[in-house]
Amino acid sequence: MNVLWIIIAGGAAGVLSGLFGVGGGAIFVPALVLLFGFEQTTAEGTSLLAIIPVAGLGAWVQHKEGLVQVRSAATVGLVAGAGVIVGAVVANHLPETTLRRVFAVFLLIMAAQLLFRSHKKRVERLNAEAASDDARV
Amino acid sequence: MPRVNDPGTLRLALVGICAGLLSGLLGVGGGVIIVPLLVLWLGWNQRSAQATSLAAVFIIASYGVVAFGLHGEVRPGTAALIGLPALAGVVFGTRLAAKLHSDTLGILFGLFQVTVAIVMFAG
Repeated sequence: MNVLWIIIAGGAAGVLSGLFGVGGGAIFVPALVLLFGFEQTTAEGTSLLAIIPVAGLGAWVQHKEGLVQVRSAATVGLVAGAGVIVGAVVANHLPETTLRRVFAVFLLIMAAQLLFRSHKKRVERLNAEAASDDARV
Repeated sequence: MPRVNDPGTLRLALVGICAGLLSGLLGVGGGVIIVPLLVLWLGWNQRSAQATSLAAVFIIASYGVVAFGLHGEVRPGTAALIGLPALAGVVFGTRLAAKLHSDTLGILFGLFQVTVAIVMFAG
């Protein structure tokens, strides 16, 4: 039964990955912990392996549509390697709860800015569409 | 489309460091931080930011697998079990994203990000 749920969770993580440009670890990791009783670190390692083909396929599909800035992706990805090492060292010296909460607040601030900006653009687009409809009538 | 010029490259490097820190600290891929930073710091549109983020996550996850693999914390069979349905899902997800306006996608992403932040805060 848990196997069925893990397949459903995998499918859902894939949809989120393609829809939002993320790896899917936000679903993979808790699914492996809750459904298969994995340790947090084993869940993270296994999740990262599952992410490789998923992110690769998603990036490839969108690269064919000309949406991927290849050099920029390489810059972000390669520099991130240094960040991963620093992060792993820091993680061993600071309490995990504090780290998670600091990042959560950082994410919330960015989300608020993103929502505000996207909403403004959406209103402008809808107004422009309404204006062009009026012009046609 | 953004050009890769010098200040841009510096900002991209900062985005990479943030994503790497998050990944190393909490064991996630980093997409949830790469996408909003590309949109807010570099002024990219949501669609390009998401597509480019996936390519960067591919590289970051590869580092992560090596690091976790050295400690014997990767289970390939389980990764295949959860990853194969995700492969079907990701194709569907990219098609869904292609049907949405960039601004609508930005709003949906913002709500997704809020959810991740709440789970991260409580988790």
